[in-house]
Amino acid sequence: MTDWNAMSDADFRKEVRGFFEAEYPEELRHLPHRPKFAEIEHWHRKLHAKGWVAPAWPAEYGGMGLNAAKLLIFYEEQQRWGVNRGRDMGVQMVGPLIIKFGTPDQKEYWLPRILSCEDIWCQGYSEPGAGSDLANLRTRAESDGDDFVINGQKIWTTMAHDATHIFMLVRTDPDAPKKQQGISFLLAPMDQPGVEVRTITTLSGETEFCEVFFDNARTPRENLVGELNKGWTMAKALLSFERIFIGSPSLAQNALGQLESFARGRGAFDDPVFRDRFAQAALDVEDHAALYARFADQLKRGETLGADVSMLKIWVTECFQRITELMIEAAGPDGGTIGPLQVGNVSVDVLSSFYKARPTTIYGGSNEIQRNILSKAVLGLPG
Amino acid sequence: MTQSDKPSGDQEDLRLLRESARTLFERAGGSKRARTLRDAGGGWDADMIRKLAEAGVFGVTVPEEDGGLGMGLAAGGVIAEEVGRVIAPEPVVLTVGLSLGLLRRLCPNDARMAQLIGGETVLAVAWQERGPNGGPAEASCRYENGKLTGGKAWVVGAAGAQGFLVVAESDNGPVLVLAEAGADGLSVEERRQADGSAMGELSFSGTPAEELASGGAVQGTLAEAVNDTTALAAAELVGLSERAFEITLEYIKTREQFDKPIGSFQVIQHRAVDLNVMCEVAQSGVREALGLMDGETDPKARARLASRAKARAVTAARKITRDAIQLHGAVGYTDEYDIGLYLNRALVLSAWLGDDAYHRRLWFEAREEEGAAQ
Ligand SMILES: Cc1cc2nc3c(=O)[nH]c(=O)nc-3n(C[C@H](O)[C@H](O)[C@H](O)COP(=O)(O)OP(=O)(O)OC[C@H]3O[C@@H](n4cnc5c(N)ncnc54)[C@H](O)[C@@H]3O)c2cc1C
Repeated sequence: MTDWNAMSDADFRKEVRGFFEAEYPEELRHLPHRPKFAEIEHWHRKLHAKGWVAPAWPAEYGGMGLNAAKLLIFYEEQQRWGVNRGRDMGVQMVGPLIIKFGTPDQKEYWLPRILSCEDIWCQGYSEPGAGSDLANLRTRAESDGDDFVINGQKIWTTMAHDATHIFMLVRTDPDAPKKQQGISFLLAPMDQPGVEVRTITTLSGETEFCEVFFDNARTPRENLVGELNKGWTMAKALLSFERIFIGSPSLAQNALGQLESFARGRGAFDDPVFRDRFAQAALDVEDHAALYARFADQLKRGETLGADVSMLKIWVTECFQRITELMIEAAGPDGGTIGPLQVGNVSVDVLSSFYKARPTTIYGGSNEIQRNILSKAVLGLPG
Repeated sequence: MTQSDKPSGDQEDLRLLRESARTLFERAGGSKRARTLRDAGGGWDADMIRKLAEAGVFGVTVPEEDGGLGMGLAAGGVIAEEVGRVIAPEPVVLTVGLSLGLLRRLCPNDARMAQLIGGETVLAVAWQERGPNGGPAEASCRYENGKLTGGKAWVVGAAGAQGFLVVAESDNGPVLVLAEAGADGLSVEERRQADGSAMGELSFSGTPAEELASGGAVQGTLAEAVNDTTALAAAELVGLSERAFEITLEYIKTREQFDKPIGSFQVIQHRAVDLNVMCEVAQSGVREALGLMDGETDPKARARLASRAKARAVTAARKITRDAIQLHGAVGYTDEYDIGLYLNRALVLSAWLGDDAYHRRLWFEAREEEGAAQ
């Protein structure tokens, strides 16, 4: 077993970069849509054989056991090369929860199946009445013999139509004094009569997320992770690393590169107004990277990140949006055209970048919610 | 490669430097001093200059063998940030970046070096000229037979300086000369600035001046010193922005309307967060740029970094100080309240050596040139 953490940062980066560059299929680089598992299965097999499916998991569970510093490098390289994250909700979200709060039996059963993608997971948190105010969720799970019986509805469930299992937050005690109490974390199989999945078409025309209806669906009692009615705190405990990941510069950096080659091909740089706006965007990305480095250094020193890390997400997602808006402007009369636009020997899918940027300010805690958090937890403002 | 791959270097030195500079300024009275000095006519405090010199501030980037602290521009930036926090009017950035920036490179053995480092003298630097339309113009000020003829504009520190380092044209190309304040044929028109300081418009008619350096090195060195100063001015704006934000944050926590602190209203909270984020991005971006300048020898690359720093700092400082006024309400529009001092200082520092739009243009052009060269 390689101790990756013992390597120097530079060597480790070289190793990761080398593997991606040699092994990642060219046709899957910078995929403009979220793939179904079948489309990336051959890549997943390679990653699995290499033992690199779960960089953050401890080695004893089949992960790479990377510390925060190495993990950042891994993700930086992944994004730099446009390596698709695959169907990683199992690895990113359920796995860590099972590792932290699961029983030995749960670990033994679920973790290998996550790594091999024998089970493919989707995240059932949001509901029609529970978006930003997630604790308002209503989907019920009631004890019935050896099972829980689930009734209710989830929505915006990414790739639920291509998942075998759903991990969900459900209400198990409707009489709890606070709505954050009485919520549990439950795993359930999708392939059963009581579960119905309807795809939702997004603005970009993709079917990326779904509604999931539960009508007396069942899941065995042993699929409760952690204590009954303690799901809220558990799910929140998971967010700390994700908060720097979601604020990493890569998306904006990649988009800026696309913008530049497209704008150059189109002659947009002849316009001094465009030049200035490009320079603004480029400097916004560069200075964001400097701020990101400050937080990354904090992680590398072994410190935990404070709530102030949210500012990375606010800045970079809004910057990403401005960059894709500039692409549309540079496209001029083609700004509404679906599909790749060819300029010289580069082809850029302007609309797809634009669409991809829109939800980044909505999911992962909307930017307004991030501002609420910063104003209270960091600035100490009242109310 | 990300910044995080680089060794963190002498972070501890910088932390100590920051602490001692902050203590020095706070003991002297913080931003209150800026108001007092402004009301007294817009000069600076000789006693403070001496104290700063004792702390080694002016010689921070001068090599140790030439009597300085031998630290880099990043260290100069730390000091400039502290100057900005208390909007100190003393000519710290001018002396560190320009006067000593020129002398330490062109004539490190000149006796004036020690005087500047020791805070015994302040020399303003005159190199830009004003054209007939009021904007910057080609330099035409001449130095012949030991005498200067012509004019210079936008001379910071002209009101209190003991002398002027003037870049002029001669038969042997550009020269750096020193004219004493009050020399024959020198007239200084003081143009009052928003913060109470003055910029000088100099005119020379046969003014005697001593030649310090000449030849090809003068222009290149001037450009380098201007890069350094631009970056240091950016750092000063970062410190200023930070403090202006802190003052504003304190205000919105305490000012009550509708029976609540105004900082409990979401729209105010979100604006405050945006200013805070802007401030943090500026701090990280500018500090990174100065650190990179220390490790860079190519003048073009250094110029590009300086432009990156100033562009960011001006954008942030303008936004933060202007929104700060709005968040203060009418009291923010009074002269009595300190937040206005920050706005006024930001106006002056933003205009000096180029604002954000100007530096974005330079930055972009440098980037294009670099791209074309590759
Ligand atoms: C592409 C995409 C994929 C997603 N995938 C999943 C998934 O796999 N699983 C899952 O469970 N969920 C998923 N989500 C849902 C996501 O978590 C929610 O969209 C998010 O929590 C916001 O909830 P909402 O959409 O109901 O918006 P609302 O909460 O209704 O918000 C609407 C607007 O009001 C603002 N707002 C709300 N509350 C406040 C407040 N207190 N102060 C100020 N402004 C406020 C919001 O910022 C937003 O601008 C996905 C969403 C998207 C867009």
